[in-house]
Amino acid sequence: MERRTREESLLPTLQLLSYAIIASLALLMSLKAGSLPASRWEPMSAGAFPRIIFLSIAVLCTIAFVTELFKQGLPRTTWATCLQSIVKLKTVIVNLVLFIAYMAFLPWLGFMTSTFLYLSAAQILMAPKRLTAIVIALLVAAVFSAGPYYLFSEVFSIYLPRARW
Amino acid sequence: MTDAFLLALGGVMTPYTLALMAVATLAGIVSAAIPGFTITMAIVLTLPLTFAMPPMQGVAVMLSVYVGGLSGGLFSAALLGIPGTPSAVATTFDAFPMARKGQPGKALSLGLLASFVGSLISIVVLIMAAPPLALMAVKLGPWEYFALIVFALTIIASLVGDSLLRGLIAGLIGIGLATVGPDPIMGRERFTFGYELLAAGIPFLVVLIGMYAMSQLLSELEPARGGKPQPGSLISGDMRPHLLDTVKQVILKPVNVVRSSLIGVFIGAVPGAGSSISNLLAYDQAKRASKHPETFGNGEPEGVVASESGNSSTVGGSLIPLIALGIPGSPADAVLMAAIMVHGISVGPRLILDNPDLVYGMFISMAVASVFMLFIGLILMRAFLRLLNVPKYIVVPVVLACCAIGTYTLNNRISDLYLLACVGVAGYVLRKLDYPLAPLVLGVVLGPIAETNLRRAFQTSDEWTLFFTRPISAILLTLAAVSIVYSIISYLRRRKAFSSRTNASLE
Repeated sequence: MERRTREESLLPTLQLLSYAIIASLALLMSLKAGSLPASRWEPMSAGAFPRIIFLSIAVLCTIAFVTELFKQGLPRTTWATCLQSIVKLKTVIVNLVLFIAYMAFLPWLGFMTSTFLYLSAAQILMAPKRLTAIVIALLVAAVFSAGPYYLFSEVFSIYLPRARW
Repeated sequence: MTDAFLLALGGVMTPYTLALMAVATLAGIVSAAIPGFTITMAIVLTLPLTFAMPPMQGVAVMLSVYVGGLSGGLFSAALLGIPGTPSAVATTFDAFPMARKGQPGKALSLGLLASFVGSLISIVVLIMAAPPLALMAVKLGPWEYFALIVFALTIIASLVGDSLLRGLIAGLIGIGLATVGPDPIMGRERFTFGYELLAAGIPFLVVLIGMYAMSQLLSELEPARGGKPQPGSLISGDMRPHLLDTVKQVILKPVNVVRSSLIGVFIGAVPGAGSSISNLLAYDQAKRASKHPETFGNGEPEGVVASESGNSSTVGGSLIPLIALGIPGSPADAVLMAAIMVHGISVGPRLILDNPDLVYGMFISMAVASVFMLFIGLILMRAFLRLLNVPKYIVVPVVLACCAIGTYTLNNRISDLYLLACVGVAGYVLRKLDYPLAPLVLGVVLGPIAETNLRRAFQTSDEWTLFFTRPISAILLTLAAVSIVYSIISYLRRRKAFSSRTNASLE
């Protein structure tokens, strides 16, 4: 068995965890599929196919879990290593949070305002802190929030969400 | 047949459609040239724009983006030394050294011409292969169709990513996601857990945008590993295309371009494989066949020709299973399939029989898009030099916002945006855990087809042995088993070679 550093062990640990979580969810889903009523008109009920699929997922995850353990042993990592990796991904996480907030507020603020706010915030956060970069970011935000709105409504007759206030 | 062809020709050759196709080809080239922006993303973002168009025009526009995108990676590969898309990895090997030697114009024109010839060869193969295959496919029963999908998924799982097991798990998760919502035979509601959000199921385009576009964009924001060099400074040098020289180099040495294109067509036709594999394989074969392999990697024109004709020719190959069998081989093909389906046209072996004009329109628009790609590329070569330096802090948020627009306009449903956010987060986590996402996305597309055919097979006869006794079904299931066994054996070989290398270095 190869000896790995704590940092190298992080991915295998998370993969093992993912096999366990996916297998448990798949088992739950297969139980749920089994409870779907049988059909009088066909030999396979609506739950039969999903049951096969979810059971197969559970079996494959178990095989992957056991094989990985057998091959590499129990990987050892620490919370500190895990936290370090999360800190490295802070730009991704901040962008993801901004995008989720954009999705959440879009129905209330409307497409134009929410897109302008999201684009401005995301770009200014990552752009070099120079006046020209910020002005360009604001211009891009204005063009890509008003542009698609009018393109879709005027050309394609598809109306993007309007503000609710 | 002639009527359908003339109808298709008339449909594609209208000035408005041609203008739209030219813009779409340019958009495809530009998007693929920007590192981090993939062809699939470009096609996904084009989809909502085609809703208001007639089917033929919409598909022509999508195909133009596809054809343009396959050659767009060349620009960043040659001028920055970084492939704009995975399909241009091998292009960097020779096009970049060539550009650094002061011949960027020649490197680009060689690549563009090779892409053009590769696309044309793939269209010829597509025209010859798809109709007879479709006529054969019409005779297939549900047993064969189910076996075909099992085969396609095992091939995809074994070709993509590092682990067959994770590939298979991802494919099955995709099929599992597709079972949410009404079942495809009786319409019975499944796995909605009382949420209205899930009542109509999870639209596969939302999965595709979330899994592919969002997770890819987010990973672009990660810090570069091991202090990798960032995109280099712009290349300067002779930007003239040297057309006569280029044509001589491509046309007078036809073996390389034809071999590479045929490799591209074949790889494109295999589900799951695609331009990211074909460019490397075509390059490798060109190097092996060359009388002076030592020049490869130092700006060898044959290397550029092999890689670019190898990746551009996959477009024709990948359309063979889509047109003939209704099975998309890649996420980009799945979006094309959606573009056809939103107009109420069902995709499958009957597509060519029921809508021959649409299929001929696809052939014609691919050829026209290839011509546009060549001319737009040659004319706007200098402009692309400037465009490649669009910073990521602009590209990523703008494309993410476009993903949201694309998702909303699919069904005009706000709830799809919430689904997009959930799927995007899940996709990013799975990508970080090294699960390949292509099998998952294709699982969502192929799942309902597999379920429908399996249940139809049992409605016809409850004898399960038919899957193994009907010859085509038996062959396909055997091939599926062989592909799994083969990838296990090749994994074990790789592992053995790795451990013997490690032992040798320790000694």
